[in-house]
Amino acid sequence: MSSTLEKPQIIAHIQKSLNYTVFDSRWIPCSAKFVCMGNFARGTGVIQIYEIQQGELQLVKEIEKAKPIKCGTFGATSLQQRHLATGDFDGSLNVWNLEMPECPVYSVKAHKEIINSIDGVGGLGIGDGAPEIVTGSRDGTVKVWDSRQKDTPVVNMEPMEGETKRDCWTVAFGHAFNDQDRCVCAGYDNGDIKLFDLRNMSLRWETNIRNGVCSVEFDRKDINMNKLVATSLEGKFHVFDMRTQHPTNGFASVSEKAHKSTVWQVRHLPQNRDIFMTAGGAGNLHLWKYEYPAQRTKKDADNVDMGVAGSVNLLQNVTLSTQPISSLDWSPDKQGLCVCSSFDQSVRVLIVTKLNTV
Amino acid sequence: MPLIVRDHTWTQNQNTVYISVPLKGVKTANVHVICTDEYLKVSFPPFLFEIFLFGPINEEKSEARIGNGVAVFTLQKRTDELWEQLFTNIDKDKQKHIREQAILKVQEKEAEKSKAKATRIQQEKKYALETMMKLENEERDRIQKMKDEECAKATAQLDFWRETQRKTAEENENQQKLQRTGTNNNQLVYQKTERANATPAVTLLHNTGNTTSGQISRKQKPKDLPAPRSAGCIKISFTPRVFPTALRESRVPEEEEWLKKQAEARRAVDTDLAELSDLKEEERNPDWLKEKGDKLFMAGNYLAAVNAYNLAIKLNRKIPALFSNRAACHLKLRNLHKAIEDSSQALELLTPAVAANAPARLKAHVRRGTAFCELELYVEGLQDYQAALDIDPHNVALQADTDKIREIIQGTT
Repeated sequence: MSSTLEKPQIIAHIQKSLNYTVFDSRWIPCSAKFVCMGNFARGTGVIQIYEIQQGELQLVKEIEKAKPIKCGTFGATSLQQRHLATGDFDGSLNVWNLEMPECPVYSVKAHKEIINSIDGVGGLGIGDGAPEIVTGSRDGTVKVWDSRQKDTPVVNMEPMEGETKRDCWTVAFGHAFNDQDRCVCAGYDNGDIKLFDLRNMSLRWETNIRNGVCSVEFDRKDINMNKLVATSLEGKFHVFDMRTQHPTNGFASVSEKAHKSTVWQVRHLPQNRDIFMTAGGAGNLHLWKYEYPAQRTKKDADNVDMGVAGSVNLLQNVTLSTQPISSLDWSPDKQGLCVCSSFDQSVRVLIVTKLNTV
Repeated sequence: MPLIVRDHTWTQNQNTVYISVPLKGVKTANVHVICTDEYLKVSFPPFLFEIFLFGPINEEKSEARIGNGVAVFTLQKRTDELWEQLFTNIDKDKQKHIREQAILKVQEKEAEKSKAKATRIQQEKKYALETMMKLENEERDRIQKMKDEECAKATAQLDFWRETQRKTAEENENQQKLQRTGTNNNQLVYQKTERANATPAVTLLHNTGNTTSGQISRKQKPKDLPAPRSAGCIKISFTPRVFPTALRESRVPEEEEWLKKQAEARRAVDTDLAELSDLKEEERNPDWLKEKGDKLFMAGNYLAAVNAYNLAIKLNRKIPALFSNRAACHLKLRNLHKAIEDSSQALELLTPAVAANAPARLKAHVRRGTAFCELELYVEGLQDYQAALDIDPHNVALQADTDKIREIIQGTT
């Protein structure tokens, strides 16, 4: 019995039922508040800010916008300003100052169709280089924006002429360890994963995992890319070792089947890059730890380096709801604190214990 | 008939009667005793000893000891008197009556005993179950308590952290106010250099990060960021697949079935027909025959084309194109029923319906539809044209024809 209680426990600390569909929830850095974004039944978008007080969630602010909001990030803003960048159902990218939300700080009609995923890098004191926002949309394009440049994206990754477009479902920044280098990884609904190198403005690597890619994340944005986790439909996720790229085989990977349903999200713990949590379509969360292999590289037949993937261990799992858990965010300030939202119109604050001994 | 035992012995005193019955070599296990208040029967096959007692006895207080080749009965008298003799002389009817009573009584007793046993077993089971449940509940409660303790501990930590956050936030504000009132350029310069030296990799996320950033005056410019990236565009292409749909959209099982069927059709050549012996080698190849038929069709020689297709079909019944083309010939020859049959056969062979055989199915539907319309079976014809339209919605000629048929139907009804 004691061994099972030494594992990390996922405790549902607070649960709040909301009156709108919530698509994304994010912690406001350096605070005990988080934002929830979604859409009301009347078809308008909403951003709500909650604060945790004495075991309860207090609504601090509610902001209603014209179009439903799908995703948001604080990744590209400074710690003092803490502006929220959101993508909405109309394809518009807006950056809001939550103190004065009437008018966006930066706004652009980024895509023709819904922005499915957004990520930011260069802010919050993490990483070097200019703060940038990347958006991936159903129109098949991935665009990188800089808030100092109006109306046009800094980089545009779009299908070639005449190519049938596939929805881009997820984007992530990574490899931003100095001023120049940066990588964007995008996952599409036909199972394509593409890694773009923004320094060389080229496609660095692509692969296909057969099932649509729901979520990709690097374990850290601001280091030489180390690991990438990609989750997909039908309960599978893949962990790629990004340190060694083989010219033909690409990156080594290990894949795991879990959840018995779509794996909607993956999020790495900010305080430990080998621990990540996956959120599944049956309302369950799995906490995993990645173990590195004894040797991370080996030589293949032609004496070219190739990577070796490690293994993934399940630390804990819990079922919180019957509906998919669509978003998950770890608090960067307190280890083990995370907020998740699911399609049963509720948001939950979870505490994961014993992460420092795992 | 059992052997009646008469060589028993008996003694008595004021309140007890002792009867001793020899067992004559029968094992103790085979001895069966029935005793009531007035009657005692001992049966040990093949022997039988029964006696109608002189006076009533108390059956419950009496005891029997069976062993060592003899059965000793100690019977307690109900009334304390000496009996003149052991048994009473009673007539046969009464004897029978007493016997029956005795048997009934014994049966009742047995029934009661078994019932009592059953209830006892039930009670014990219930008790066992209850204790099990209690134990499990206790276990569950213990685990729940542990979990609650953890939760409470974590909550306490959270509240504590939040308090410290709030306090540092307040401190920052106070300090900022102080700084704004006390303009000290030297202090500003000092802090600016301090911040410039600190690398961004330092965990500014902590409370300490807050204090350092909070101490800086608002007038200070943010550190220099690199210029926005020069615009770039990366063109991408998506993974080609044999069937250009994502895995979840693809109808892989049907596609594979279709491919397999095609492969089989190629192989199924029926060659043991007697007439084939006088055919040339190339005329035995269904493909060659199909080509010949096509050429004849183009040239307008429909009968010859039908012959070619007939032979090809005799060789290989599984190629849908043969039936479809023969249907076209029959259509031209106005053998409408045969045209309908052939295109139906072609459509049967073209299952499962996949993207690969769509054009073939389209043609077959159109041909069958035309045949129906020529026969003035407009409703069936419309069905086929509708099916064709489903396969290819953008075909203008097809749409025009479908509309025409619809008008005809509506005109005649």
